[in-house]
Amino acid sequence: MSCTLGEVKNRADFIIYWGGNPAECHPRHFTRYTLTQKGKFLPRGRKDRTMVLVDIRETMSAKAADIFLQVRPGKDFEMLTILRALVKNQKVRAEAAAETGLTLEQLQDLVNRMKAAKFGVLFFGMGLSMTRGKHMNSAAALTLAAELNAFTKFVAMPMRGHGNVTGADVVMRYTLSYPFGINMSRGYPRFNPGEYSTVDLLVRGDTDATIVIGADPGATMPKPAIEHLKRTPTIVLDPKVTHTSKLSRVHFTTAATGISAPGTAYRMDEVPLPLRPALKSPYLTDEEVLKRIITALQKKPAWQPAVKGGEQIA
Amino acid sequence: MLTLTLKTALTVPLEAEVLSPDVLAPLAHDAIRALPVMLGKRQHRLDEHFDITGDGSEEIEVRGDLTKVKWIGRAMTRGRLRVVGNAGMHLGAYMKGGAIEVTGNVTDWLGGEMSGGTIHVRGNAGGQLGSAYRGGMSGMSGGQILVEGTAGIEIGMRMKRGLIAIRGPVRDFAGLQMKGGTIVLMSGAEQRTGAWMVRGTIISLKPLKLMPTFASACSYNPSFLGVYAKHLAAHGFALPPASEGGYRRHVGDASVPGKGEILVWHPHAAT
Repeated sequence: MSCTLGEVKNRADFIIYWGGNPAECHPRHFTRYTLTQKGKFLPRGRKDRTMVLVDIRETMSAKAADIFLQVRPGKDFEMLTILRALVKNQKVRAEAAAETGLTLEQLQDLVNRMKAAKFGVLFFGMGLSMTRGKHMNSAAALTLAAELNAFTKFVAMPMRGHGNVTGADVVMRYTLSYPFGINMSRGYPRFNPGEYSTVDLLVRGDTDATIVIGADPGATMPKPAIEHLKRTPTIVLDPKVTHTSKLSRVHFTTAATGISAPGTAYRMDEVPLPLRPALKSPYLTDEEVLKRIITALQKKPAWQPAVKGGEQIA
Repeated sequence: MLTLTLKTALTVPLEAEVLSPDVLAPLAHDAIRALPVMLGKRQHRLDEHFDITGDGSEEIEVRGDLTKVKWIGRAMTRGRLRVVGNAGMHLGAYMKGGAIEVTGNVTDWLGGEMSGGTIHVRGNAGGQLGSAYRGGMSGMSGGQILVEGTAGIEIGMRMKRGLIAIRGPVRDFAGLQMKGGTIVLMSGAEQRTGAWMVRGTIISLKPLKLMPTFASACSYNPSFLGVYAKHLAAHGFALPPASEGGYRRHVGDASVPGKGEILVWHPHAAT
């Protein structure tokens, strides 16, 4: 369940940031969309909104928050699960709740506020989705938001990291029907995170070549994945020389989208924004490089299936 | 008996769902050699990757390090499949009957969404054992999975029926969103066991770190466990006798809210 940031600006009277530090990592988020703006239904702006920050340490964003809840590291999933139970008026023992680093009263107060809100938003960051539990932590945040819709309007939205992550997800979704972790080896898309997701494929060493477009796995991925990128042919398309370029066989310098190449970026709420180039670049765009690679590949003889007239796979 | 031996180590995964008694049993030697397998995007003949001896049979033995061979025994309904060595992902997925035995280790999605039959792994297993596939509403709905070694995360995710027994320790989220069936953990689990479970039973012989949304109910010796103990003992998984202690019953997960139970063994204090 999601919405656009325009709706957040005009309607959201209750905002939770979970596992993120927007004051430093998304500096314009408060002022443009969530906190200080006056909205159509929130004429007094900041005074009409309540902001809760859930994080493992008191960051810069805590200053902007009305309520700061310091959760014990690695207890986000437990805290979200307790909140789900409290939303449904289930009993939770106070001493069990205390393991999250918060008291049952604090959690009950948060639930009461969430239920009483007219329009609630839960923004969750990488402090939630990239710590132990990973996708299940995100699933817990999304399920909590979905279940709160039995009482009020509530949405959840991930705070994305560097680069146009949302754009990659959206385009993959409308072309291949899944956002990531897709295998096309049989000619149709198959989706299985954990099996086909990039980091897992590289760590297990299941690929024999890699093409990296506008990403830098060489700087972020675990060591076995980087070792595999070094071992096998890797091609990089990037406006600058990255860590991955250094371990790749081929690096294409491409024009920077939005600066010297046109394109479309997707905002974190999946609103497409056209980009116009301000400068000219001597380099080709990513699209042009890929098109030329495809054309060159089409000139090569196609591989033939080894079994002719053999039994087809059911 | 039909024996297949992997010729050379694989660099990319080989998808070989034809390695199942249902496909192989009715075929002659030559027809088996010509069966299609997928190496990456390329379709190959089975005999390009395996040395094959014997004609089609309900008794199949596959030898070699098959870590990168996926979908062995997919949707099999009968026969016996023995893997001498390691096996890859999705071993015995959608399986309906028959038996699979693995002498080595297996990886993720062992017995995914299976509905019958037995899988016995002598080594370690990966994650998502007996689980639902992504987007699937229910995981294994029957049959049993026995693992002598350890297992990974999310075992028995959304499982509906059937039995999973793991001798070694398992990692996080065992019995996640479980709807029924039984998981026996002989050496306990890391954390978040039984998270979001609706129904079903998780039995642990070691103390567990439970979710805060579980409530302690009572200490007792459930009578149904005697039947289970007898069944498990036949496969070498011995539950301790009732005279030596009892089980503490925890009910949850309150967040769903669910009525699943986690039974944690606690022996009587030594006198």
